[in-house]
Amino acid sequence: MTHQIDLEAEIQRLLTEHERIAEQGITVHRRENVVVLGGEVESVERRDEICRQITGHFPEIEITCDIGITRAQAPSEVEEIS
Amino acid sequence: MIRIAAVGDVHVDKDVVGRYRPALEQLPDRADALLVAGDLTRHGTPEEAKCFAKEFGGLAVPVVVVLGNHDHQTDQQEQVTEVLTDAGITVLECSATVLEIRGHRLGIAGAKGFGGGFAGACASNFGEREMKDFVGTTEAISARLGETLRSVRCDALVALTHYAPVPETLVGEPLEIYPFLGCYQLGNAIDSAPTALALHGHAHHGSERGRTPGGVPVRNVAHPVIKQAYNVYQLLTDSVDSELVPV
Repeated sequence: MTHQIDLEAEIQRLLTEHERIAEQGITVHRRENVVVLGGEVESVERRDEICRQITGHFPEIEITCDIGITRAQAPSEVEEIS
Repeated sequence: MIRIAAVGDVHVDKDVVGRYRPALEQLPDRADALLVAGDLTRHGTPEEAKCFAKEFGGLAVPVVVVLGNHDHQTDQQEQVTEVLTDAGITVLECSATVLEIRGHRLGIAGAKGFGGGFAGACASNFGEREMKDFVGTTEAISARLGETLRSVRCDALVALTHYAPVPETLVGEPLEIYPFLGCYQLGNAIDSAPTALALHGHAHHGSERGRTPGGVPVRNVAHPVIKQAYNVYQLLTDSVDSELVPV
């Protein structure tokens, strides 16, 4: 059985190294029997692919996905640099 | 007055094309140039670079970028650079460009940068060949960025990197990975020239604002940090005449 700390490391590496994911900014936290994923990605497709791959690789793990999609609206403010 | 729009870590691929464009089309009303602080793509393939060029190219303002670590993933950074350059995008790597903007010369010196860590917790050029190669890369890139910055003649000088030059803009990231997010040598390079602003990305969970030891303002413009299509920074302030509200 995979130890907790190894599981988190394995998920982190899967998220980075899987050719269809390549995400380094996803957080992985254990909450009792649930693994909670956090962070933001650029599209709904990427978030869904992350959940699909983790579920496929670790079918015994319950996943909660709190991954958001980064907003891409134009800014309304400017910062003066001094 | 010069206004610079900046963002990093947009990781464009087919699924992202169209997301940024509405905000980018508004750029001429908001900024004089767009700087992108690396990680333009997911894996650094020419196909992804074409997606980036489609999304971020052909704008009414100059676009200047550096590559990030993702843009090196498939070892095709030269082809990626060629795709971007053909699309009219300026790609910097230990090099600089000067833009003429309303009578001012905006100098931009850029480099991807590299890791290595910060004072009190940095890697040293010592021991195994692999460790010396790692730190040697850090030192070489930083030295070349410093030379480039000092060579630019302009009214306002901006340093553009992917990796962070200070630890302040990494706050929020796990301390354990700071050495993979930036290095103090980049900060020293920035301080060796009259730099007005340093922009970087890479740290998705970091903080927006910091300063180098020499006092240069540093901004982490990673997309998940700024949470909008781009931020706008104003240099050489003499008046406020845009529809954007100063903060």
